[in-house]
Amino acid sequence: MNLIIGLILATIISFLNFVIVDTYFGLPEEPGVVGADNVGHSIKKRGGDLAGGFFQGNILCSPDASAGTLIAAIGVYALGLEGGLIAAFLVFIGNRLCADPGYAGTTGALTMTVIVILCSYIGLTPEMFIVGIVIAIFLVQGVHHPTSTKALGKIAKLFGRYTKLE
Amino acid sequence: MIIEANGIPFLLNYLIAIIVSIVVALVLGLPLLPDKPKRFSWVNSAIYPTPIIALGLLAILFALKIVWIYNGLVLAIVIGILSALFVKYLFYYVFPNPPGVNEGDKNSLEEDNA
Repeated sequence: MNLIIGLILATIISFLNFVIVDTYFGLPEEPGVVGADNVGHSIKKRGGDLAGGFFQGNILCSPDASAGTLIAAIGVYALGLEGGLIAAFLVFIGNRLCADPGYAGTTGALTMTVIVILCSYIGLTPEMFIVGIVIAIFLVQGVHHPTSTKALGKIAKLFGRYTKLE
Repeated sequence: MIIEANGIPFLLNYLIAIIVSIVVALVLGLPLLPDKPKRFSWVNSAIYPTPIIALGLLAILFALKIVWIYNGLVLAIVIGILSALFVKYLFYYVFPNPPGVNEGDKNSLEEDNA
């Protein structure tokens, strides 16, 4: 597959994987630790959305589906199926050390392992997914927080996971 | 491609490890599902995190080319049993307590898991 098309497709798939899994497991609903709470309120002060801010704070403070997606892609690149499963196990350990039950991270890693392996049969390589998830995380965390948190807040409302906190 | 030619028996091994770990966890008295709301629950159950630990340990051994007898089948069963035992008895010696639970409350947490 053409590299540019592959990268765009991998970015979209990785973005959907980590945002859907993280939102479903309630990252925008409440901050898991004090750091996530601070990030959420800081972004809200700068014109962002509180639920999206909690989402960003949570993925910053513990390895959730974003990290799971990235590590699973790297694991499959290095070791195949075994690498993806080891990635899920490592993400679970990381979650437990970061005061997080770890549902989002491990689920994200396992779903990404399946996706990367299935997509390898249509020409999307694990390398494309590694770059794709880095671009996807950069778009969410690194460009403009108020805009990205508003988008994340809208997705949270769509899933019925919008925060009830003020 | 990524799953090698001998991949199908290995997939079966993973499936067997998942089933054995869940069944042994249930026999040891762990609940099948976490408390509600499930996405915020800290209770260890048969569905989560027992199979994750079984899959991870088995994958590490397979990645190291340790297969043992019967093409990895016996290893899958042993790892499934060990994972369930770990989650039931050793989990909180290795991992920190959930936030808000003190060292003295550990017994009550283990009773919750029972």
